[in-house]
Amino acid sequence: MDIFSDLFMGLSIAITPMNMLYLLIGAVVGMIVGVIPGFGPSAGLAILLPLTFGMEPVGAIMMLAAIYYGSMYGGTITSILLNTPGESATVASTFDGYPLAKKGRAGPALVMQAVASFVGGTVGVLLITVLAPMFSQVSRSFGPPEYFLLALMGLLTLIVMIGSNWKLGVISALIGLALGTVGVDLETGQGRYTFGSAELIGGIYFIPIAIGLFGLGELFYAFYTGMHRAGEGTLVDYRKETRFWPTAQDYLSTRWTMVRGSILGFVVGVIPGAGATIASLMAYSAERSLSKTPENFGKGEMAGLVAPETANNAASSGAMVPLLTLGIPGSASTAVLLAAFMLWGLRPGPLFMEQNSELAWGLIASMYLGNIILLVINIFAIPLFVQIVKVPYRMLGPCIVVICALGTFTVNASFIEVWLMMGAAIVGFFMRMYGFSPAALVLALVLGPLAEQALRQTLTISRGSFDIFFERSASLSIIAVTIGLVVLLPLMGRCGARAKAGKKIEG
Amino acid sequence: MTLHTDQIASRIKAGVLGMALAAPLALAGAAQAQTYPDPAQTLDWTIAFGPGGGNDIMARTIVEILNTYDLYPGNITLENRAGGSGAVGWGHLFGQAGSGYGISTTSGSFVTTPLQADLPWAPADFTPVALLATDDLVLVVAGDSEIQDIGQFIEFAKANPVNIGGTGTVNVDFIVPALFAQSAGFEFEYISFNSMADQTTALLSGAIDAMAGNPGEILGLIDSGDLRALAYSGNSTPEALAGVPTMAEAGHPIGVSMPRGLILPPDAPAEAQAFWIETMQRVVETPEWAAYIENNTLTPTFLFGEEFRTFLTETQNGFEEVLRSVGAIQ
Repeated sequence: MDIFSDLFMGLSIAITPMNMLYLLIGAVVGMIVGVIPGFGPSAGLAILLPLTFGMEPVGAIMMLAAIYYGSMYGGTITSILLNTPGESATVASTFDGYPLAKKGRAGPALVMQAVASFVGGTVGVLLITVLAPMFSQVSRSFGPPEYFLLALMGLLTLIVMIGSNWKLGVISALIGLALGTVGVDLETGQGRYTFGSAELIGGIYFIPIAIGLFGLGELFYAFYTGMHRAGEGTLVDYRKETRFWPTAQDYLSTRWTMVRGSILGFVVGVIPGAGATIASLMAYSAERSLSKTPENFGKGEMAGLVAPETANNAASSGAMVPLLTLGIPGSASTAVLLAAFMLWGLRPGPLFMEQNSELAWGLIASMYLGNIILLVINIFAIPLFVQIVKVPYRMLGPCIVVICALGTFTVNASFIEVWLMMGAAIVGFFMRMYGFSPAALVLALVLGPLAEQALRQTLTISRGSFDIFFERSASLSIIAVTIGLVVLLPLMGRCGARAKAGKKIEG
Repeated sequence: MTLHTDQIASRIKAGVLGMALAAPLALAGAAQAQTYPDPAQTLDWTIAFGPGGGNDIMARTIVEILNTYDLYPGNITLENRAGGSGAVGWGHLFGQAGSGYGISTTSGSFVTTPLQADLPWAPADFTPVALLATDDLVLVVAGDSEIQDIGQFIEFAKANPVNIGGTGTVNVDFIVPALFAQSAGFEFEYISFNSMADQTTALLSGAIDAMAGNPGEILGLIDSGDLRALAYSGNSTPEALAGVPTMAEAGHPIGVSMPRGLILPPDAPAEAQAFWIETMQRVVETPEWAAYIENNTLTPTFLFGEEFRTFLTETQNGFEEVLRSVGAIQ
């Protein structure tokens, strides 16, 4: 087989002592940048990029790629333990990860996230190995009409995200959509609600908002409930911790979640511009609408943690497909990798894998090894991280404030974003108190601008006609999938539930 | 020897005096008295964008060359001060007015950001060192398009209104096709995208007819035949695009390009400006610089000192005029 000989060639290149060292460095740095809130993989890549000037491209690219997918492992740790997403793709992991920790299952949650990340990452690399050329067709069939439909599909999942009180949920989503309108209007170039500020030209980035709403908002709420006064009181009740390892039930109940999350994550990751963040949010919503127990989501359901975790790792693998097969970066981090290729004088594009097959297959092979290394690092590091939750809250609280502020600042070195984060924290506190949905706000803030821009681009292209959505085969397939996921599946679920209820009555 | 001790003594005196008054001010004064550059001073190199971007790569390439050839005696710290499309980083440099130890590289946003936001500075405020290269654009269509060359493209565009994609509106991506269309006499809809990646996929998916973009990122797609290059906006076509005419050769000169240059804070000492002009003249002679120009498909264009300032003012005026006429800025 051609693929296997290529892969073995890649492995033989990857497994040299020096390259393995670079891979290990990349994995560790990735873990660390993932753990620090706000400080994401693109910033981590920044630190090591200049160091790669004098390196062999194979070792360098293995290291840089490991930072990227390694951060997907690390980012979840603070999501679970502190309700503060380590980076954008792990926002969805706070939804059920933190409630799990609160229930005294921090250990199993951390182990399951590592396992889920490993499965997602490995399935992603497998799909690259076997199907990269096929998926490059997917990445090149996406134009503005498809992006709009994709964003619309994401926005439809708001229906499951807004929770039990739909009025408050809708208000939350509308706040998110409103915040999404800030920034220079892409089409006319005019500033919207920027008040002449240069820092608002690019719009409101959702990371400060998410850190404020989830991390600090939760902290304020804990202070409000008087948690800091309880001398021995900790953020997460560690005494309830019965066992460190997940139960067989945890693995069994989420085995299909992992499969679904991996495939969905990979496909979304392949689409340039969608990326790991959208993949994880969509996987969470999809899992919730498919679940037999949707009412448990947000209260510490293992599937609610596993779905976004597999998806964001699979997406980070998927994002390599357009990079390697077309030379198009799918995300901020892969854009840095593209810049690295160009720094080394390589020419990314459709001929890249042919012309640089050693580099390309060395990278792919290293991703299998990198995921194994990361799984091992995680399993050993988790007992250390779990110690965080044993720190009394009155000591941990101030540290969280500092971490949130510092993390926000490091993203763009912007004070305005730190103030935005603080503002979001106060809003988050009240949202928590009165039962609004911060998750819906964040999802709307991510997808709103994407939907608006894509729709306006589409209608400019078609001179105002909506027919364009039905003339392109890629658009039609997305419409079909949306109808299937949003209309048919819930209907089937409802019929199934009714049939069951009927049987019960009969019985 | 006596002179040497005297110098130390006067320095100590200045230092003690300085501590009594305002330490940093006195130390800076002492440094200014030395000839530029003082190896004891650290050069604060601002990169106004995040890592991996064009600005970042250029700055790191120059610093690498300075180190390799020992062209700068002191320490250099490179700092990514991203935010507000360059406003944060260049604002930081603006705040170092009068100093010769702050420096930054420029790119297109150096001209466009002040047009979009209320900033205290204009490009011409800074002390100009040199324009080293320009970023120019290539007009491309999809490889399966019937349009083979720029002549056919103009004919096609005159008969059917075309969609041309680019990144952002207050950007050279919009200005270049706008000026070209004006000259060639066709109309088009401009589709604005967030990034080069988005517009490239849109073109490959058949959603738009053509796009203007930096050749560097799409050379691979041009090589493989997935994209077809029609015309180049710079003064001379880079080697990688051999055979593609410039817009001027096609009969429609544009005369607008994005400046990649080097600037010092406003009112920097004249000896600092002179030092950097001389140093950059040596940098651009190195094979490393030639490789940088080639890898990033830039057009080498040199203007030093005040000529660079004039270039910046003219470019900004040209931009302002086009953008005002379409209502993108007030």
